[in-house]
Amino acid sequence: MTTYVLRRLLTVIPTLLGVLLAVFLMVRLAPGDPAQLLAGEFATPETLADIRQRFGLDQPWYTQLGLYTLNVLRGDLGESVRTRKPVTYELSQYFPNTLRLTLGAMLVALLIGIPAGIIAAIRPGTIFDLLAMLGALIGVSMPVFWFGLMAILIFSVQLGWFPVAGTGTLRHLILPAITLGIGTAAILARMTRSAMLEVLSQDYIRTARAKGVAGRVVIFKHALRNALIPVVTIAGLQFGGLLEGAVITETVFAWPGIGQLLVGSILARDYPVVQGAVLLIAVAFILINLIVDLLYGAIDPRIRYD
Amino acid sequence: MTKPAANTSTPTRREPPRWRRRLLRNPLAITGFVFIGVFVLVAAFAPFISPYSPVEQNLRGTYVPPMRVELRGPDGQPGLWVREVSRTPLGQLEVGQELYPIRFFVRGEPWVWWGGLLRSDLHLFGVDGPVKFYLLGADEQGRDILSRLAHGAWISLSIGLIAVTIGLLVGVPVGLFSGYFGGTFDLITQRIVEVMLSFPGILLAIVLVATLGTGLTNVMIAVGIAAIPVYARLVRGSVLALRDREFVEASRALGSRDLRIMLRHILPNALSPIIVQSSLQMAVAILFAAGLGFLGLGARPPEPEWGLMLARGREYLATAPHVATFPGLAIMFVALGFNLLGDALRDALDPRALR
Repeated sequence: MTTYVLRRLLTVIPTLLGVLLAVFLMVRLAPGDPAQLLAGEFATPETLADIRQRFGLDQPWYTQLGLYTLNVLRGDLGESVRTRKPVTYELSQYFPNTLRLTLGAMLVALLIGIPAGIIAAIRPGTIFDLLAMLGALIGVSMPVFWFGLMAILIFSVQLGWFPVAGTGTLRHLILPAITLGIGTAAILARMTRSAMLEVLSQDYIRTARAKGVAGRVVIFKHALRNALIPVVTIAGLQFGGLLEGAVITETVFAWPGIGQLLVGSILARDYPVVQGAVLLIAVAFILINLIVDLLYGAIDPRIRYD
Repeated sequence: MTKPAANTSTPTRREPPRWRRRLLRNPLAITGFVFIGVFVLVAAFAPFISPYSPVEQNLRGTYVPPMRVELRGPDGQPGLWVREVSRTPLGQLEVGQELYPIRFFVRGEPWVWWGGLLRSDLHLFGVDGPVKFYLLGADEQGRDILSRLAHGAWISLSIGLIAVTIGLLVGVPVGLFSGYFGGTFDLITQRIVEVMLSFPGILLAIVLVATLGTGLTNVMIAVGIAAIPVYARLVRGSVLALRDREFVEASRALGSRDLRIMLRHILPNALSPIIVQSSLQMAVAILFAAGLGFLGLGARPPEPEWGLMLARGREYLATAPHVATFPGLAIMFVALGFNLLGDALRDALDPRALR
């Protein structure tokens, strides 16, 4: 186990370095002078010279990459072109909101997805099954932004139950969390269903039924516990995926998170912030997957690592 | 030096493949086919289905809601009729009294399609009279939403096809070589694939667009590149499972070269998941492209791209909800069609996958 953990930790390092390289290349491959991109359109010649100096833009590319890596490791991601504040400060302002949104969305996904999957699996082939699975397919086919807009239209504009946009209270969180969580709920429902069906066909379930264990106990104690293992893994992996959906959901609801910061920065050509936001999301995604992987072994004692 | 290919095909005559029967008996597959069929037809004949040009503005028609079609004419005669709906200079909606008949297969604005191969002035329907007929309403510039949706279908279809093709053309060979040969090539490509997959979902496309710049061509490239690691992973996994099977060994023992083994023996056996993934990937590509359009990172105005149309509709959600509603429905039905088909294909090609 310990060797596995160590090895898994080591495999993350090349990926992290690769992500760093990709983010580094973003600015270098984009059309235009990197210094200009990093300093912004209206930068003075002095600022440009300063940026060139700081990022070593007059040096060969490997020196630049080394310098960039060093800066990132020191927590220096540059300065926002728009606000002139450090990128790390900007990210720290926006990231907690994204975290709240994704946590809320995950809660929504679990609360909708797992029960729907269980119901579909207990009664396969019935109308419940069909409705749940069709709902799940529609859930993954629906554009997040459209679902969000329709939710705003119905629940905010027409019914007036929730605020249209913004952040602050729990009521602000509900619509964005549902919007972001619904796709994941669909995926979880499908996963839960097939995992439950798999487990329900096992011998020990038949044994439990044969010896007279109550139906509900069989479902929840014998079957669900075993079926949930793959579901928990998928849920964990989806948590990283929610970061992606957050980019769009935040734009719909004007939710001041990292996604909105990213999109706004791309449109404003604020490259240092773009780089920082992309780096943050990717690293968060990698780390979440790593944690899920490691937890997987803890949840399911049958899994052996060699 | 290559041996005759006596070992490659079984002599028995194939009966109609079972997977096809399974597919055609699945109502969800049929539903998927219908949605995709409608989508492809609309895209292929967009200007015929559109009563107007997708970019034609009408300042008297801004935000006109979907028009009501009357079933009785002025003297009670049956047919389809509409009244003039227009906006006064003060912004009020004004509904005219007079009824105008809707006619099918009418001559109207001439159009050119398929890069000049198809020219006509025939339209599926139009109004006989000096009024505009907005079946699905008009947008902020008085452009007909139906016409824009139809032309947008062409854009979405092109993006989907080009993106999936890019993913296939690069991802499949990479996965094939990587799984078959292993070694350094595998190690390097897998690291690259991992890095690409570290930008979850649409984020990779966003990163690429941020680098390449916005616009439809770049969206196609970005969404296509985002599909590469998916295929590379998928194919590599299949190849690893097939590489050491007996029929591959047998072919190798008979002296087949690596490329031949890969193309004749391994790839055909790895085809099912590729086909399934391609259907699902069409849905993903169309959703991604619309997402980029919605964020303002994709198609540029006045392009009738669905995501972009939705984004414009957002600003007037309360007063003109139809502007955002219909493009969203279009995206959903198309994505649903490809997802249904992909699912049904998986069930048909690999019946063990479920239950």
